[in-house]
Amino acid sequence: MDSDEEDYVFFGTPIEREEEITNRRKKAAAEASGNLRALPPWKQEVRDEEGRRRFHGAFTGGFSAGYFNTVGTKEGWAPQSFTSSRKNRAEVKQQSIFNFLDEDEKAELEGTLGTSSQFDTFGFTAAEHARKQADKEQKQRPSAIPGPVPDELVLPASESIGVKLLLKMGWRHGRAINDSRASSLYDARREARKALLAFASEDAKAPCPADEPVEEPESFTVQPSDDDTRSSQSLPAFVCNPKQDLHGLGYDPFKHAPEFREKKRLHLLNDKQRRDRKTMSIKDSLFGSKSGKAAPGFGIGALEEYDAEDEDVYAAGYDFEETCIEDDEEPSRLGIESKQPSRLTIESKQKVVARDQGVLPGFKVASVSDYQLERFDPPVIPKDFVPHHKFPGPLETLKKLDVPSPPEVPPPDDSNLKLLIEGVAKLVARCGKLFEDLSRKKNQSNPLFSFLSGGNGHDYYERRLWEEHQKFGDQANLLLDGKLSPSMQKMTAESRGKLLGEKPLERSSRETTSSSVASGEFQLQFNLSDTFKKPDSFSKLPEVAKPFKDDPAKQERFEQFLKEKYEGGLRSTGYTAASNMSEAARAREKLDFEAAAEAIEKGKRGKESMVSTQPLDFLASGMQFTSGGLEQVENAHAEDLVMKKMYPRREEFQWRPSPVLCKRFDLIDPFMGKPPPAPRVRSKIDSLLFIPDSVKVAKPEEVAITNRDIPAAQTGAQMTNEDVAEQEIEIVAENVERPVDLYKAIFSDDSDDDVEDLNTKKAQDREKKTEVATTALNRLIAGDFLESLGKELGFEVPPDTPYSTNKANDLRMETPNSDSGNAKLSTGTYLNPGNETAQDGDSQKSKSIPVRSGGYNSGKHTVGLLNVSGKVNEDKFAQEDKKVKSPSSRRRNWSSSSSSEDERSRKHSKRHRYRSSDSYSDPSSDDREHYRSRSKGKRERSSREKSSRSRKHSKHHKHRSRDSPSRSHRGSERGHSEARKEKRKRRD
Amino acid sequence: MLKTKPAHSLAGLARQKKKRRSKMSSSELPRKEANVLKGHEGAVLAARFNSDGNYCLSCGKDRTIRLWNPHRGIHIKTYKSHGREVRDVHVTPDNSKLCSCGGDRQIFYWDVSTGRVIRKFRGHDGEVNAVKFNEYASVVVSAGYDRSLRAWDCRSHSTEPIQIIDSFLDTVMSVCLTKTEIIGGSVDGTVRSFDIRIGREISDDLGQPVNCISMSNDGNCILASCLDSSIRLLDRSTGELLQEYKGHACKSYKMDCCLTNSDAHVIGGSEDGSIFFWDLVDASVVSKFRAHSSVVTSVSYHPKDNCMITSSVDGSVRVWKT
Repeated sequence: MDSDEEDYVFFGTPIEREEEITNRRKKAAAEASGNLRALPPWKQEVRDEEGRRRFHGAFTGGFSAGYFNTVGTKEGWAPQSFTSSRKNRAEVKQQSIFNFLDEDEKAELEGTLGTSSQFDTFGFTAAEHARKQADKEQKQRPSAIPGPVPDELVLPASESIGVKLLLKMGWRHGRAINDSRASSLYDARREARKALLAFASEDAKAPCPADEPVEEPESFTVQPSDDDTRSSQSLPAFVCNPKQDLHGLGYDPFKHAPEFREKKRLHLLNDKQRRDRKTMSIKDSLFGSKSGKAAPGFGIGALEEYDAEDEDVYAAGYDFEETCIEDDEEPSRLGIESKQPSRLTIESKQKVVARDQGVLPGFKVASVSDYQLERFDPPVIPKDFVPHHKFPGPLETLKKLDVPSPPEVPPPDDSNLKLLIEGVAKLVARCGKLFEDLSRKKNQSNPLFSFLSGGNGHDYYERRLWEEHQKFGDQANLLLDGKLSPSMQKMTAESRGKLLGEKPLERSSRETTSSSVASGEFQLQFNLSDTFKKPDSFSKLPEVAKPFKDDPAKQERFEQFLKEKYEGGLRSTGYTAASNMSEAARAREKLDFEAAAEAIEKGKRGKESMVSTQPLDFLASGMQFTSGGLEQVENAHAEDLVMKKMYPRREEFQWRPSPVLCKRFDLIDPFMGKPPPAPRVRSKIDSLLFIPDSVKVAKPEEVAITNRDIPAAQTGAQMTNEDVAEQEIEIVAENVERPVDLYKAIFSDDSDDDVEDLNTKKAQDREKKTEVATTALNRLIAGDFLESLGKELGFEVPPDTPYSTNKANDLRMETPNSDSGNAKLSTGTYLNPGNETAQDGDSQKSKSIPVRSGGYNSGKHTVGLLNVSGKVNEDKFAQEDKKVKSPSSRRRNWSSSSSSEDERSRKHSKRHRYRSSDSYSDPSSDDREHYRSRSKGKRERSSREKSSRSRKHSKHHKHRSRDSPSRSHRGSERGHSEARKEKRKRRD
Repeated sequence: MLKTKPAHSLAGLARQKKKRRSKMSSSELPRKEANVLKGHEGAVLAARFNSDGNYCLSCGKDRTIRLWNPHRGIHIKTYKSHGREVRDVHVTPDNSKLCSCGGDRQIFYWDVSTGRVIRKFRGHDGEVNAVKFNEYASVVVSAGYDRSLRAWDCRSHSTEPIQIIDSFLDTVMSVCLTKTEIIGGSVDGTVRSFDIRIGREISDDLGQPVNCISMSNDGNCILASCLDSSIRLLDRSTGELLQEYKGHACKSYKMDCCLTNSDAHVIGGSEDGSIFFWDLVDASVVSKFRAHSSVVTSVSYHPKDNCMITSSVDGSVRVWKT
């Protein structure tokens, strides 16, 4: 409005404005001071920097729309100067959807927006093509009008107005009505270009399509899109071909091979030509041959649309040079015919032949059968072919097997020579003929080697060599067979023959031994045993001694068995012959063999002695030798049984129940205390509960101990001893059920204690040192007392009991000794019960020294120790019995000792008591602290101690309960201690 | 074969029992139909007596569990909550809670009187075939198609299994619990008992898919119904096969088998709707009658009386008495 103000002429004083301005100013000042801020948003006003209210809308609308609420502009209003659109009419863009699309969208839409020729089967373009095609087709067909119908005669009806319009708009036949041009400018230019070219083409009748790019001006380099041409090209021909062939409907034999279609057409053509007329144009037929495709060049802008890529390269032979119709028809046809004549004649000849042969009418024999069965004669098998592959060994030893054995010759008298011959023979057998030749050559002059060249001992050498070869061949055979048929022994030639009912061939047993699968070890032994015996001893096995004649394989095994039985001192590892047999079958067979062998032996002996037909009786009586087949069946049956017996099969695995499951089943976790299998966080309880596995470990130990003790104990004590042992086992078992530690684990917070301990430890340590000193002194006194007591009881008491845990370890080491019967006992172990009663009577907190030291040990040892100590006690009693003879006195002794102990430990515990804090950690564990490593294992250990302690308590209850009838004060004591315990529990 | 076995097993025990009962046993077999409990729509998949035998529970394809009084033939209550078929149900010894399982892969822990679901235990990766409470009703053990046995804690509020036993090689079809053991029968042909006390798994391979296992009342034997149409009696301590019971058809359905409360006879259903009674010792078919028109899915024997309930695919639960 300021600008407006300048233009206006004002008369008088603008009072209002003044007011307004002041008002504005005021408001601006108020705004600046933030007074307006206090207003709610809907009461606040928007003002410009001058304080004017502009009443903008949300953004720039509202009151100040436009140019200060006018239609004017900053420059004012002025009409634009006229510019004619004539000059740039072409520039006016026809908006199409393509102008608003991205490239990729265009690509997408290209297909959908245009009329696709694919679906234009009945559309005009297709119809047009069809018409043209039909025209051409008609030319080939025999028509009513003979001769080629001139194109002028068959004129299409005048086009409809729509087509005309389209044509005017630039559309031409064969093209899709598809505005694929992005710009109408391009269209316009193309129109112009076409007009130009049309003129040009009028002059030069048929301009070569190849010239087109050259003719085009530079500005026209924008090629028509491929899509356009393609769509026009790919319009399918809608041809109403009469069905002339005998194929199924829609079947096109040349679908993927249009070349053959052409050929076929040619044949037809030739036939036709031969039959009726010669005027058929091959060119047309060629066009017809391409009827599957849109004929190129028709309906397309003659110049531009024809690209090199449009036509298939294979059709290049017939170019459009030949489109000049009738004139050069003849030569071209002739040309083609000249290419084809020989084949044609051949075919016709074949056809004739085929007709002669009586081929079905409508069929003809294929000239070139692409499926020709070529037959070959089977290869002629040579007469001497043996259907068994012989592996060429590394040496020619195998071949030599067939060599007839040279007669057995006595070895030469000279033992040296004999040895030499044997050695050479062996070497030659092993290394081959070459070695023989070599050595012969080398030792030509040596008279010792004359046997090589037919001198002295040659015969023996020959024989030896043969034997060696024999042996070697066997071995090789074994090897090969082992390699070849590790498990294929099931169906040997023999067994097959037997199945077929053939008579088994009589074979030399020596050659068939190879059927066994031999291990390397066995081979070695085989060889060794071979060297110990005469090689052909078993080939001479009498006919009688072949009890398994009808099962050669079995016979072989039997012979093998015999060999192993009687030959050489080196028996093979076992009866390895039939590794493919089941254990049971093998065992049974072995039994059979044993029996048979025995029978043979007997027979031999019988023959020797009384020359009877004894050997045959086992054959007569023993039907178990007769048929292998029967036995097979039996075997199968047995195996069936075995299979049946296989189920149910029991297996055992480790399985770890989760602690919660154990808890829920009210059972004790067998894996308690063991490290968890998974890195799962385990609750404190799990790690604390430790009873059963220590118990388990202890048990056998205990039993062993009792066993050992019994012989040492006297007859009078034996019973009690055993009783006690049993009872103790009971006790231990009973303890398992007691959930004391579970209770503790739940309600006591050990880990906290440990922390506390750590804190208080240092302070306590100093105390402890003094403590240790005093207790040591105390112990010395007690030791003296014990010594005297021991002497009184007739025991040798070790001079001092170890107080420190190191010594406790020693103690533990000692205990086995004390078990083993000698009376050398540590006071600690001996005094255990006494101390414990003292605890019961006096204070639970105070712990006797040995227990403490025992507590240091791992749970297992603790229990062992405890049990041992208990046992030792009993042992002692037994021995006491020996001395004192009366149980009452023994009890008295014991009670006296324990009461004295009571006194002592009371003193001891008193001292402890004033020292010990009120925390859970009792003095004993305090004392232990500094021997213990301050590791995490602490907690576990303490729990173990606890458990062991509790076990001790209970044990003592048991002891007492046994003893109590005789001692009344004990009962009261027990009540007292029970109360104590309760109290303690509560405190815990 | 059996004769030579030492008499420490159930066989010997049963022989004595049989001697005692031989004169009346076959006549005392429950063969008379006392009641037909109708109400289930579609197949009934399991029918179970409660611990004292006064009530019975059935469950089936209609996704319901029904509580009956079999002796009077009254339908008492229906428990609906399962999303798919209910395959097994078990009730606590104090009759206060139920557990059930089925095709919806969940184990439902029900309150019997209110009929509300207290808890659902999810975790099985497949259908759950069988479910059992332990003695204290504190743990539910379920056997599932996912080759596992899972133990669920009823006491705590956790819905995670407290134990997953996944040593089975195939679907676990059935589960039995003793005071200290969990025993599962699986399609892999094994009956595996997991001893919690000693932490051992004992696997008895039967070589045939095990359809159902059931404990003898003296706890010494396991009756395993196999899919080769035979029921096998196993000694639990040694794992040896004591006897095989044959004659019925059991090839493709999950079917129960059980022993009479005196352990004198073995009862099994057949796929043709018959009920078979075998003598425990000599495995002869003592009795056989057609009870249902279709596959007998479940048999349950009264803990004290000579009474039996059977359920079938034909949708009925029948009560049989002597």
